[in-house]
Amino acid sequence: MKEYDVIVIGGGPAGLAAAISAHKNGARTLLIEREERLGGILKQCIHDGFGIIRFGERLTGPEYAKRFVREFHALKIDSLIQTFVTDIRKDEGGFTVTTVSSRGLGKYRCRALVLATGCRERTPRQVSIHGTRPAGVFTAGTAQHFVNLLGQMPTKKCVILGSGDIGLIMARRLTLEGAEVVGVYEARPEPSGLMRNIMQCLEDYDIPLHLSHTVTRVFGRDRLEGVEVAAVDENMQPLAGTEERIDCDALILSVGLIPENEVAEKLGVTIDPRTRGPLCDENLMTDVAGVFSCGNSLHVSDLVDYVTESGELAGHAAAAYSRGEERGEESKDVRKEGHKAAAQQPELKAAADEHDLYFRTDKKKMICITCPNSCLLTVAEEGGNIIVSGNRCPRGRDFAIAELTHPMRTISSTVRTTYKAVPVLPVRVSQPIPKEKIFAVMAEINKVLVDHPVRAGEILIPHVLGLDADVIAASEILKDTDPEGEWEHEQ
Amino acid sequence: MNDKRLEEKLNRRLRRAFAMAVSASVEDRLIRLSGELESWEDIVRACSMCVVKRAGFHVVNDISLRGAKPQKMSVPNHRDTELEGRRADVLIIGGGISGCTIARALMRWQLDVVLIDKEADLAVQASGRNDGEVHPGVDLGRGSLKQKYVVRGNRMFDQLCEELDVPFERCGQYACFGEWRALPLVWLYALQRRFVCGIDDTRIVFGRRLRKKEPKLNADFKFALYNPQAGCVCPYGLTIACGENAAANGAQISLNTAALEMELAQPAGGGRQSITGVRTNRGMIRPRLVINAAGVFADDVAQMAGDRFYSIHPRRGTNSILDKKAGPLMRSIASVKSVKKNTAHTKGGGILHTVHDNLLVGPDAVETREKENFATEKASIDAVFAKQRVTMPVLSEKDIITYFTGVRPATFEEDFIIEKGRRTENLIHCAGIQSPGLTTAPAVAEDVAALAVAMLKEQEPKKPPVKNTCFDPRRRGIPRLAAMSEAERDALIRENPDYGIIVCRCEEVSKGEILDALRAPVRVPTVDGVKKRVRPGMGRCQGGFCLPLVARIISEETGVPLEEVKKAGERAVISLGRTKGAKNEGI
Repeated sequence: MKEYDVIVIGGGPAGLAAAISAHKNGARTLLIEREERLGGILKQCIHDGFGIIRFGERLTGPEYAKRFVREFHALKIDSLIQTFVTDIRKDEGGFTVTTVSSRGLGKYRCRALVLATGCRERTPRQVSIHGTRPAGVFTAGTAQHFVNLLGQMPTKKCVILGSGDIGLIMARRLTLEGAEVVGVYEARPEPSGLMRNIMQCLEDYDIPLHLSHTVTRVFGRDRLEGVEVAAVDENMQPLAGTEERIDCDALILSVGLIPENEVAEKLGVTIDPRTRGPLCDENLMTDVAGVFSCGNSLHVSDLVDYVTESGELAGHAAAAYSRGEERGEESKDVRKEGHKAAAQQPELKAAADEHDLYFRTDKKKMICITCPNSCLLTVAEEGGNIIVSGNRCPRGRDFAIAELTHPMRTISSTVRTTYKAVPVLPVRVSQPIPKEKIFAVMAEINKVLVDHPVRAGEILIPHVLGLDADVIAASEILKDTDPEGEWEHEQ
Repeated sequence: MNDKRLEEKLNRRLRRAFAMAVSASVEDRLIRLSGELESWEDIVRACSMCVVKRAGFHVVNDISLRGAKPQKMSVPNHRDTELEGRRADVLIIGGGISGCTIARALMRWQLDVVLIDKEADLAVQASGRNDGEVHPGVDLGRGSLKQKYVVRGNRMFDQLCEELDVPFERCGQYACFGEWRALPLVWLYALQRRFVCGIDDTRIVFGRRLRKKEPKLNADFKFALYNPQAGCVCPYGLTIACGENAAANGAQISLNTAALEMELAQPAGGGRQSITGVRTNRGMIRPRLVINAAGVFADDVAQMAGDRFYSIHPRRGTNSILDKKAGPLMRSIASVKSVKKNTAHTKGGGILHTVHDNLLVGPDAVETREKENFATEKASIDAVFAKQRVTMPVLSEKDIITYFTGVRPATFEEDFIIEKGRRTENLIHCAGIQSPGLTTAPAVAEDVAALAVAMLKEQEPKKPPVKNTCFDPRRRGIPRLAAMSEAERDALIRENPDYGIIVCRCEEVSKGEILDALRAPVRVPTVDGVKKRVRPGMGRCQGGFCLPLVARIISEETGVPLEEVKKAGERAVISLGRTKGAKNEGI
């Protein structure tokens, strides 16, 4: 049985950051990933906007992941891919992790465990969707998998329920691919996604957002044929008489994410019912000594940058724990009621130092990307005026107004390839293009067929439509024979 | 009472309730109601009030619903000639638990058996949409076929499930009472079960012992009637296993195949008609004998065969499945009971710990005109939970991961119909098989098979069916790796590395298991087909993560492009084509 100081479960942004951080802090580290490639959900998040806080750049998901995957491999940290953790036992001095993979069962020992297991989407059944059960009901993430990884259209005309970010992103993505998004329906009186996504994903494409409305019923025996929508009262109960049938071929749900903590629960970790993530101390250690939590399994984050940060913190602390370093005894509960914000690290054991507290809030925020200060702008619209606060310099205000009114946009999409294992490859424009050119550029992108190995950043269409922007690959295909070896080539 | 007098009596009864809108005619043990009514509920009420407890008498409903078009059975669009001119000893119509157990029972004889089902899989309708309880046989009408078969069927399950490699638990059932005053009646009932029905293990369990067995039951329960022989099984798993075993023994199972019409021949010298051909969307089948196991459509099939002497009035029932995290709350089957007469035609539903370690809550019972109305309603779930929270107060709707509705094929007599055709010679009806039809199926199948063999022998006395000495009752199920010991699992993965690639994280299903499902004797290369066999998508994420992966495995294994992989039936495509093809318009 191989022994490690730290085992990280999950190879998404949180797990990668945790493993890198644990390794850099001297821990012998193993990362275990269920899928065949590292990067987690970022692999299918081909839109941009990742890394603004961390890198001061607007990266696509695959590009953001790539930076960490590259570092991870450069550090020669041990990893197991396509390997599933089937059991974890806590015992004297550590944990025994049992894995299953195509090589059989494996057992690994460690002193500290970092859980970076991500989150899953709330299902149609969890929001009480009734009626028939045809094909054509998808969560937004599943639809995203079909479009961005498999190059398949799950819909040509759909209704989206829920204004979560993935739903908004998919509204734009599907529109770019030629589908009609009839509308986004949100049962709450305010949207749940980021304002920048409401703006860039819905308003840009004239997709209506219906607040205080929900989908009450699904029609269709084999394939979905329509949905019924209705207005809801303040308790989110449908109002009789407001029902309306919309003909469409799919219902896409973006109704919330749930931290995946089944592994944590099996270990006896206490789960906070508000965040559905583990209760942790300031080092992101759960109430089971030696078990750390980070990323979206700790709590669902709006921005991947925070996911990375929590991964680094957990990895660092896990490395320290594995060396048996003392931890503070004093404990202080800073849980706050009242706000919709839920404190993630309510146990402040080491009372002396400054600590960052991570919150989940219901405020609409925007990150200024003008400079690396990355001011967190709060934007509100009152009587048609845009009111900006949180900007540390006037450029922030300009940025916010430009963001709300600006005609320049960055677009991400995919191009077809001849590789069976990677039917589509993520691409983006190298710099913003005028908003009115989006569909013309999409048409150019759709003509591309990649039939040779491509590096990330490689220009696929120089000066698309005579603009300054190039269409560049946002991910890569490196081998003719085994394009799936994409992430592993540097090992 | 002769027919005339019965007819007058029923018509008096109908006039009191519905004036002249409906009338009854009685002839040849057939009570036919005709007329027109405003609502389906009224039609069911009219028919129900004409039910008489006389052997072989059945109500046939010819009352039309004002302003409503007749309901049509959904049939596949697909047309081919695969079965054109196919001769068979026996044609079974319906691939539910009845059809599949009968097919398997018939394979003990050297017979050419064809089973058809209009759906893309076995067990799509009632057999795939029930709670999976193997009933101990309480609460059934004396002298009914239900009662005749339930105990015999129940006792067959250990061997049946062992042979078919299907999980089965005799988990026991508690009917819980909150009032002491119910005790004398329940006591008498328990005595009756012991001394009249010969079921000697039913007993009454009191407060503390009850809670020791099931600590989460309502603390106010005073006692429960305990039936240790009650059990649970995966109903579609068992149906598919029976179908596969029948197929492995030589039966032909043809899915996506609907019986559309029958060709009947009248003997020249009088006597009973017979079926000479069954037209399907895949060609004309020419069987010597037809077995009608068509569930909610049994009366439609009877009509095709010119032998409609009963009517099905569909009754919906909705069940919810709870997350496995709630599984430990209950180890058996339990439900709150009272001594009030149960008029709801369900044993009232309950909470059941499934063989897959989920909890199942339900079902309810709602009359419906539509035989294929599988739509779920929030009201059903709310009502069931309101009731079952009395059984177990910690029960929470928050744990629901999915719910589904089935439609019971009830006759107005609320009993099975298992008999030869009345007007049609070469026909056996196995109809009205509602609860406890899953429990009774293996026993009913034995009798139906015996009847079929006798009828075939009668048709050709010189060539009677002979026993099939090669019949193998055993089926090897698909290995369930997550349930194995580590050593066993490791060894199997080393033999086949696909068993080590986990595709469904919630249920821990490997690619190897999915491939096994796709290569099983009855091939159903759909997402739902795979899901029913090896469970990817049955867990808490409901396929959110694994749907694209499973669809891709199906595509690769069958050579069908991804955009043609179906969720279930032929129109249930998942993808509508590839990206990049669609036209874009300007903003």
